[in-house]
Amino acid sequence: MKNTLKVERAKHNLTQQDLAEKVSVSRQTINSIEVGKYVPSTVLSLKISRVFGVGLEEIFELEQGD
Amino acid sequence: MIDKSILHVPLLSPGWKVVGYAFLPLPIILALGLALSGAAIESSNPSQILFGFWAIGFGLLNLCRDKNEDEMIKSFRLQAYQTGFFWLIWGLAALMLISYFGTGGFTSNFLSVFSILFLLNAYIYAAFQYQKYMATKE
Repeated sequence: MKNTLKVERAKHNLTQQDLAEKVSVSRQTINSIEVGKYVPSTVLSLKISRVFGVGLEEIFELEQGD
Repeated sequence: MIDKSILHVPLLSPGWKVVGYAFLPLPIILALGLALSGAAIESSNPSQILFGFWAIGFGLLNLCRDKNEDEMIKSFRLQAYQTGFFWLIWGLAALMLISYFGTGGFTSNFLSVFSILFLLNAYIYAAFQYQKYMATKE
């Protein structure tokens, strides 16, 4: 699954740490999601999309093979 | 499943990690201390004492909450337990086969409750740390 987390963060001028604090996870978790090492749960995905004020599918997108 | 409180066991506070780490060199320190003081040492099977202490040590480390216990760490923990049991079963089968071809029997002195618990906990610990290392590797 690919995502536009980094782009959304840049748009909202948020660091990984800022976003991590807003959704109550570690900075490492946000980094792992951004680079595609970790696929977040539905709850965390919804929290992230709420922070950016956009729909879930605007941030996360299924890839071929998912 | 969320309401089944019987399935949700609490993790130990991170402070218990110190106790877990202390158990790793403890049998060696204990043996040295006993030897220096001239006290009688149980010599039936020293390796089993070593495995026992290490099993407790790694067991405590595995049961400790991480500093940042978020959903990614929880998923790593689950994966580590699955990986640990997988390695244990294949390792056990390999040891039994080695023992069979070596001595003609499926059991050996190495295979005991202590050694198996040590191997299981060590595998789980290694799998958990490896996942955390891979996640932090940028």
